[in-house]
Amino acid sequence: MNKKLTSLLLTGAMALSMASGAVVAHAEEEGYDHQAIENAGDITITMMVSGTATDNDFETEQLPALIKEKWPNVTLEVTKLPDDNYYTSLKTKLASGECPDIILTQPMYAGQNACYAMAEAGYLVPLNDMDSIKDRIDTMQAVTYDGDVVVATTGVSILGCYYNKDLFAEAGIESVPATWDEFLEACQKLQDAGIQPIVMGDKDQYVLQFGLYQIAANEIYPQNPDFDVQLRSGDTSFTDEGTWDKVLEMYKTLYDNKYIDASQSLGYGASQAITDFIDGKAAMTFDGSFNATALTAEGAAGAFERGYFPIPGTDGVYTATCLSAGESIYSGSKYIDECKELLDYWMDGESPVWDAYLATGRIIPTYGNGADSIPNYDLFKPFIDLLNEGKAFYWCNQAWPAGTETEMEVLFSEMVGGQGTEVEDIVEGMQDKFEDLLED
Amino acid sequence: MKKKKKAAAFNSLVFTKRMYLFLIPAMAFFLVFWIYPVLQLFYYSITNFNGINYDFDFVGLKNYSKVLSNGTLTNSLKNTLIYAVCTVALNNLIGLAIAMVLNTKLRAKGFFRTCAYFPALFSAIVVGFIWSYVYMPSQGMIASLINLFGGNGAAFNPLGNFRTALYAIALVEVWKGFGTSMIIYLAGLQTVDESLLEAGRIDGCTEWQLIRKIKLPLISSTITINVILAVIAGLKAFDYSFIMTNGGPGKSTKTLMFQVYETAFTDQKMGRASAFSVLAFAFIILVTVFMLYFLNKREVEL
Repeated sequence: MNKKLTSLLLTGAMALSMASGAVVAHAEEEGYDHQAIENAGDITITMMVSGTATDNDFETEQLPALIKEKWPNVTLEVTKLPDDNYYTSLKTKLASGECPDIILTQPMYAGQNACYAMAEAGYLVPLNDMDSIKDRIDTMQAVTYDGDVVVATTGVSILGCYYNKDLFAEAGIESVPATWDEFLEACQKLQDAGIQPIVMGDKDQYVLQFGLYQIAANEIYPQNPDFDVQLRSGDTSFTDEGTWDKVLEMYKTLYDNKYIDASQSLGYGASQAITDFIDGKAAMTFDGSFNATALTAEGAAGAFERGYFPIPGTDGVYTATCLSAGESIYSGSKYIDECKELLDYWMDGESPVWDAYLATGRIIPTYGNGADSIPNYDLFKPFIDLLNEGKAFYWCNQAWPAGTETEMEVLFSEMVGGQGTEVEDIVEGMQDKFEDLLED
Repeated sequence: MKKKKKAAAFNSLVFTKRMYLFLIPAMAFFLVFWIYPVLQLFYYSITNFNGINYDFDFVGLKNYSKVLSNGTLTNSLKNTLIYAVCTVALNNLIGLAIAMVLNTKLRAKGFFRTCAYFPALFSAIVVGFIWSYVYMPSQGMIASLINLFGGNGAAFNPLGNFRTALYAIALVEVWKGFGTSMIIYLAGLQTVDESLLEAGRIDGCTEWQLIRKIKLPLISSTITINVILAVIAGLKAFDYSFIMTNGGPGKSTKTLMFQVYETAFTDQKMGRASAFSVLAFAFIILVTVFMLYFLNKREVEL
C-alpha cells in the first residue's frame, strides 16, 4: 500500500513538474505579456529621440496619433532634441533616474548614446523576446550586447557618393567609376570641364567620416574583417602599414588635386555643401542615406537626375552600410512590456505606423511591407545588392570608443589645412587617442 | 561681566538674532545649487566616471596629470587667452568710444544708443548662426559684398582658415558685447561733474586732455568693472566656438570651456573633464584676482 502510495505521489509530482515545466516553456516561448497595454488602463509612455522636428514629423506628431488610434488608453509623449542637446539631456535623465521609457540608441560603441556603453551600465532592457526581433537576432550583432539584443532597429544606413548625372554627362563620364583609379579619372574629367568635382562641408568636421569610412570599407576590412576587434586586443594598430595610412593617403589625394577644395570646404558647413550640390555647383558630395531627402530636393539647378554610388576601392567595391540607430527600452521603466508591445506594433512590417515610418524616406528597411518601394529605393539599390552579396562593412566609429574619430577629423583637417600634419601624425594620434580612451 | 558685554555687542536692536533665520532659504539654495555641485566636481575629478556608468573607481591625481601632459590644456589655454585679450580690448575700446560720442549733445542719441545696444539683446545661438552666414565663403554677406565690388568673395573664408578663425569668432563676441560695455560706460560718464569739465575748458584743455585728465580718472571704477566682466566672459568663452566652428578648423578655436565639454561629452571622460574644470576654475580665479588687484591699484594712482 505504502509503495503504491509512494509511486502514486511520485507519479503525481512528476506530472505536476512536467506540467509546470510546460508552463514555463510556454511562457518563455510567448515572451513578454502581449496584453500589457490592454490591461494597463490609462498610461503615458515617454520617448526621447534626437533630430530636428519637421512639419507633420513622424516621431512627434504621426507616431503619437497612430498609437492613440490603436490604443486610446495610451498617450505617447515624444521629445525630439537636436543631437547635442539629446546627449546632454539623456545623461542628465539617466543620472537622475528619470529617463524616458523609450530612447534612441546607436549600434556598438557609436556616439554618446552607444548601446554597448549603456547596456554595460545596465540601462537597457533585453529585447530578444520581441516578435519583430526574435527572427532577426542573427542579423543584429551590432546591437547585441552579451547575447541580448538591446536596440529595436529596422534597417540600415548607408554612406555613399551622391552625384549629378547631368554634370557627369557634360564632362563625358559615361558610367559610375568601379575602381579608385576610375574615380580619380572621373574627378579629373570634371575638373577639366570646369566643374567642381566634389563639395564637402568640412567646417562640420564629422563629414570627413563620410568619405574615409567608405575607403576603409574597401581597403581595410575586406583584408581583415576583425581589424577593429584586434585593435582592442592590441594585435593590430592604426599605425599598421597598408591600413589607415593608405586610407588617409587616398582621401588626401582628393584634396591635393583640389577635387575637394580645402580652402572652401573648411569654411563650409554640412548644410551649405548640400545646398551647393542641389544648386548644381558641384558634381558630387559624400553623404549618408539619412540625408537623401535633402540631397534629392530641387535647388537652383532644378530637378536634375541624381545617382548614388559607393566610393570604389583599388580592387573593387565594398560599401559602408551598417545597422541604423534604433529604439531601446530604459531598464528603469515602469512599462517595459507595454513598450515592447508598442515597438512590436510599430516595427511589425505591416502596421499603419510601419507604413508612416517608411514614408519618411529616412530608413532603408531590411524586411516588411514596402521594403522595396521606399522613397529613393533606386538610389539605395546598388548598396543593398552589395549588402546581400556580403560586401558591406559597418561604419568604423561604431567599433571605436567615442572620441577616436574626433581626433582623426581634427588631425586630417590640420593636414589639408596646411598645418604641417602628415599621415603618420594622424595614425599615431588616432592610436594614442584610442589607447587613452580605452584605458579606464 | 565680560560675557554680558560680549552679548550686548552682538544684540543689535535693528538686526536681531531672529533675522538670521531669514538667511536660511537663500543659504540653502546657495549650498545645494552652488557649493554642493562644486564639491561634486572636485570629487569626480579623482574618479574615472564616464558620465553613464556609476560603477566607477578612484584614480587619484591621474586625471590631472593627463590633462597637464596631453597638450589639450596648452592649446585651449593659448586660444582662450588670445580670445580674451581680443574681446576685452575691443569691447572696452569700442564701448568707451561710442559711450563718449553718445554722451555728447547729439540729435537722436536715444535712437543711436538703442542701435548700439541692440545686438546684446540676441542670444548667442542666434548671433552665432547669423554670423556663420555672414562669414560664409562665396555666398555669405561679406563675400557677396566683395563680389559686388569686383573682388573674389570665394577667397574670403575666415572660419575655414587656421590663422583667422579664432579672431573671427572673437569679433562676433565683440559685436554682441560692446553695447553692454557702452551702457556701463555711459552710466559712468554721466556721473562726471560738468563743472570740472567746464573748469578744464576755461584753463584751455583740449578735448583729448579733458578725456585723459578728467573723464578717464573719474570713471576708473567703471573701467575696472567693465574690464573684469569682459575678462571673465572671455575666459569662459564657449558659445561661438561651439556654434560657429565646433572647435575647428583642427583645434584652432578650442577654448578651455569647449575642451571641457568635448572631454566630458564626446570622449565621455567626465572624471577628466572635472579635473580640467578645476584647473580652468583655478586659472580664471587667479587671472581675475590679479586683474582686480592691478586695476584697483591703478584706480588709487589715478
